[in-house]
Amino acid sequence: MAETGRLTGNPAPALSPVTLLRAAIILGVLAIWEFLSHSGWLYRDVVPSLLAIGRALLELLTHGEYYFNLGVTTAEVGFALLVGGVAGVAAGILLGANRFLAKAFEPYLYYLGPTPKIIFFPIMIMYFGVGPESKVALGTLSCFFPVALSVAAGMRQIDRVLIRVGYSFRANTWQMVMKIYLPAMRHPIINGVRLGLGVALIGVLLAETKLSNKGIGFLIIQAYSIFDMPRMYAMLIVLFVLSIGANALVGRLGGLHSIKRT
Amino acid sequence: MAAPSSTNNAILTADHINVRFETAEGPVIAVDDVSFDVKQGEFFSVIGPSGCGKSTLFNVIGGLLSHHQGTIKVGGETISEPHKSIGMVFQEESTFPWRTVTDNVAFPLELIGMEKAQRIERAKHFIGMVGLNGFENRYPGELSGGMRQRVSLARTLASEPKILLMDEPFAALDEQTRLLLGDKVLQIQQQLKQTTLLITHNITEAVQMSDRILVMTYRPGKVKRIVDIDLPRPRTSEIVGSDAFGHYVAQIWSDLREEASRGMRDQEKHVMDEGASS
Repeated sequence: MAETGRLTGNPAPALSPVTLLRAAIILGVLAIWEFLSHSGWLYRDVVPSLLAIGRALLELLTHGEYYFNLGVTTAEVGFALLVGGVAGVAAGILLGANRFLAKAFEPYLYYLGPTPKIIFFPIMIMYFGVGPESKVALGTLSCFFPVALSVAAGMRQIDRVLIRVGYSFRANTWQMVMKIYLPAMRHPIINGVRLGLGVALIGVLLAETKLSNKGIGFLIIQAYSIFDMPRMYAMLIVLFVLSIGANALVGRLGGLHSIKRT
Repeated sequence: MAAPSSTNNAILTADHINVRFETAEGPVIAVDDVSFDVKQGEFFSVIGPSGCGKSTLFNVIGGLLSHHQGTIKVGGETISEPHKSIGMVFQEESTFPWRTVTDNVAFPLELIGMEKAQRIERAKHFIGMVGLNGFENRYPGELSGGMRQRVSLARTLASEPKILLMDEPFAALDEQTRLLLGDKVLQIQQQLKQTTLLITHNITEAVQMSDRILVMTYRPGKVKRIVDIDLPRPRTSEIVGSDAFGHYVAQIWSDLREEASRGMRDQEKHVMDEGASS
C-alpha cells in the first residue's frame, strides 16, 4: 500500500519532510528569539519581543515617512543601475571589441572590481555632498565593474560567424552593434545587470548608513542610534523581503530571455 | 594557368589571386595564382582537399579578407569589401538564435531599410522556396541542423544576390539530409537561374550540381584542372547512380587523390615534428 502511494506521487507537497523541517526551523528560531527577549539575560531591547517588532512593523507601514524614504533609496538604486549599467555596457563593448584597450585596461578593472567601493565614499561626499547624489555615485561605481567585466567577456564569446554574416550583408557599425553584438550578448548583459543590481543596492544602503539625511539606510541607522530596536528590526524585515522580490524580478527577466537557445 | 578571357559573359572574374599568411613557422601560401571566371547563370564549384585554401578563397571573393594580391571583379567592378552582388552562405551554423525564422530571413532587407510589411512578405516568399512554410515563427533553436541551414540559405537568397557564394553549406549535415538539401539547392538554382559558386570537398555533391568544377591542389592551393560536367539538366540526386556520373567522380577523384594524400602526409609529418620538438 505504501509503495503504491509513493508511485502515485506526493499528493501534498506542503507536508513533505523538507517543508516540515523548514517550518520547524523558523518556529524554532522564533521560539528561541521570544525566549531570549523575555529571559532578561540581554540588555533591554537588543532582542525585542516578536509582539514589539510586529507593532513596529505595523507602525512603519502605516506612515508616509517610511514610503518617502523607500522611494528615495529606490530612486538612488535605479539611477545607479541606469548610469553604471549603461556605462558598463559601453565600456564592456569597447574592451571586448579592442584587444589593445582590453590588454591595457582590464587588469585595472579586475583589481578595482572586487575592492569594496565604500572606501571611495568620503571622496564621493566631497564631490557630491551628503544628499542622494553621493549615494547614486557610489552605487554607480559599484555597479559599473561587474557589468563591464561581464559584457567584455560576453563580447569575446560571440559566435564569430554571426559577425561575418553581418559584414557579408554590409551592415554598418550601428547596425552591427544594435542587431548583432547587443542581441548576441543578451545573456552576459542580463547577468551583469543582476550582479550590478546586487552591488548597487549594497553600495547605496551602505552609503546611507554612513552619512546621509534620507533613505532606508538612514532610517535604520537612526533607529539604531536612538536604540529603537523593534523599529530597526521591522525595517530589516521589510528590506529583506524587498531584496528577495527585486532578485526574483531580475531572475525572471533573465529566465524569459534564456528560453531561446543560447 | 592562362588568365581567363574577358570576352565571354563572365559575371565574376578571379584574376591571379595570391594569398599568404604569416605564421609562427614562416609564411604559408594559402592560395597560389588562382584564376577563373564564373558565367552568368552557371553553377561553378571549387573542390580541393582540406587545407588547400578553399575557405580563404571564399573569404576573398566574399570581400571578408582583403590582404590578397590579384583582383576579383564582379560585373567588371573590382571588389575589396563585401559586395551587394555577392550573397554568402557559411559552413558554420549562422542563424541568429534570437530571431524567428521570418526575422532571420528578413535580416538583409531590414539592413537596407525595407519597410516591415514588405520585408515580411519577401521573407515568406523565400521561406516557402526553401520549403520551411509553417515554421515562420519558430526560433532556430527549435529546428534541426538541416532546417537551420535552409534558413541561412533563404536569408542569403532574400538579399537577391547576383552570385550565390556557398562554403561547404552541407558539411555539418548527415548524408541523407545533405542529398535532399542538394536537390533543393539545385531546384532553386534552376528556378532562379542563380549564378552559384560552391566551395566543397565533396566530389559527389560537386558533380551532382555543377556545370564546371575547379579542382585545387593541396598547399599551396593552385588550379589543378577545370572540369566541364556535361550532364543533362534538370538534375536531382538520382543522377548519382548513372554511368556518366561515375565517370566524372572517378576522374576528379584521381586528381584529388594525389593531393589529398599529399595533404595527409603533410599533416602526419606536422604532428610527428610537433611530437619530436615537445
